[in-house]
Amino acid sequence: MKNLRTQMQYYGTLYRSFFELCAAEALSFRTHFVLLIVVDLIFYGTMFGTAEVLYHHVEEIGPWNRSQFLFFVAFFLTVDQLHMTLFAMSFWEFSSDLRLGKLDFWLVKPAHILFIVFFRHIRVASLLLAPLVWGALIFSGIQVGLSPLSWCMLPLLVLLSLALLITMEILLSAAMFWTVENDGINFLRMQVQSVGRWPDFIYQYLFQKLFSVFIPILLVTSAPVHYLLQTRGEEVLFFLLAALLGMLFLVSKVWRYALLRYESASS
Amino acid sequence: MDPEITIRCTNLSKNFRVSEKQAGLAGSLSSFFKRTYRSVPAIQSFSFEAQKGEIVGLLGPNGAGKTTLMKMLTGIIVPSSGTAQVLGFSPSERKRAFRRQISLVMGQKSQLWWDIPALDSFHLLGKYYEVEHSQLHHRIQELADLLDVHGLLNTHIRKLSLGERMKMELMASLLHNPRVLFLDEPTIGLDLVAQRNIREFLKFYQEQHQTTILLTSHYMGDVQALAERIVLVLDGEKRFDDSIEHFESFFGGEKYVQLELEAAVDTEDPLWKRYDTVWVENGVRADLRIPTHRFHHALREIFERFPVQNFTTEKLPIERVLTSLLENPRLLEQRGESSLR
Repeated sequence: MKNLRTQMQYYGTLYRSFFELCAAEALSFRTHFVLLIVVDLIFYGTMFGTAEVLYHHVEEIGPWNRSQFLFFVAFFLTVDQLHMTLFAMSFWEFSSDLRLGKLDFWLVKPAHILFIVFFRHIRVASLLLAPLVWGALIFSGIQVGLSPLSWCMLPLLVLLSLALLITMEILLSAAMFWTVENDGINFLRMQVQSVGRWPDFIYQYLFQKLFSVFIPILLVTSAPVHYLLQTRGEEVLFFLLAALLGMLFLVSKVWRYALLRYESASS
Repeated sequence: MDPEITIRCTNLSKNFRVSEKQAGLAGSLSSFFKRTYRSVPAIQSFSFEAQKGEIVGLLGPNGAGKTTLMKMLTGIIVPSSGTAQVLGFSPSERKRAFRRQISLVMGQKSQLWWDIPALDSFHLLGKYYEVEHSQLHHRIQELADLLDVHGLLNTHIRKLSLGERMKMELMASLLHNPRVLFLDEPTIGLDLVAQRNIREFLKFYQEQHQTTILLTSHYMGDVQALAERIVLVLDGEKRFDDSIEHFESFFGGEKYVQLELEAAVDTEDPLWKRYDTVWVENGVRADLRIPTHRFHHALREIFERFPVQNFTTEKLPIERVLTSLLENPRLLEQRGESSLR
């Protein structure tokens, strides 16, 4: 227990340092800093705007009305905003670290390699938008009339969805150890994410199975929203947890194997 | 493991799988559908030991396997076969206790954050190694004094010159007072003054802290100034392992002569070939290697046949020894590889 607390303190302190360095770095480039905020705002605007346009023409899409769909969009954007702020940069950096051999430095540091690689880069500019997306999520939750249980489960499900998304992306990124040229993997990650931008019921049966079982991106957003809106039962939570545990298991195995065959770029 | 032995590797080997492709579009298409691989031995049956506080220079041409060896000893890559022990740990297990006690500097790569001052990176490194705040502050001051970089600590890394950046890299690698320091070409690309400063710093630091240092460099000056022992790596194999004095006297039976001639002479004359002549200025200045037993005879012949203006003689410079060995590795075999440990 003491050991666990010491470990938590160690990684907590390290993470705070990562944050301080990222903040120092981000604030060095003022235009870039502001531009990132603007880009994120445009993205959020297009997501909500698309939903508004669609519901201007139809009453329902699948089983969801406008409020329910907007709640789904808000939930997706909340997970996406956390992902963009805390992890997205690290995935792109990992690609270049591998190709240029900078991973060598992280491998000799006395912290867990997954922590160094995937928690090191924080996009501080996006952090400022957290109140906006959480505000939108709460507002759309009120509009849709979430139950008290759903309100309690909401933060937990956001974190679980984020965890599933990250482990899935780490697993995909581990393929970079084999592919060497890594842009393809990063574009694949982005496309997988874009599949999750839409609710599961818009996809045909085979695609639903593919993106729920093999690449479970639909469990990241659709499953928790179905549970929160009570359009499906607790079984979706079970699938979400099972997928997360499965991904964690695979990540630990694949990553260990990938490091064994890491050859490092020559200097 | 003997506590005095910090690094030990036995029959260490590493093979890399390399894909091959024929030139041109047809070759690219063919390789896209059917790739052929071959196994390239980067390091072969390499056995070696380094004592506590020793500085060992790893020498060899590009692609000899020096960096691969270093990467195996730091746990970055896993050996194909053989065993390695550093500070009693197997590097490939990447134990945290092991990683806390080593450090790696690569002259061609940087571990510092590019867009922020070095001081910020140092504080992060202090957290990695759990160096207590006041101790970290003291270490930064001490190292900054030695390297004379106080004025640069708050400058963004991207704004520093290569020499200044390398000083920061060295500081970064020493903040946690590692017991083993792996230096992979730490002075590459630096001007002569910067090279000398780095060497002097490393020498002084090592004397103070008795850190075991494994150094690879293309500059003989680095090895000469720092290392007590040289390990020569050729084609992934250890070909020489002994003191630098022994290496310098490798051609002990020969004298190194520098000639200056009054006028350009025929550089194709067979005499020059007999003495491994290197022309510094075509036909006017030359460096020769002459066997001691033929020294008088050779000089007399040269003086009789060519207009010698000046000449000096000394023992063979280490740079020249290395060049001769790289050009003709058979010389090692002819000498019976007596210095292979």
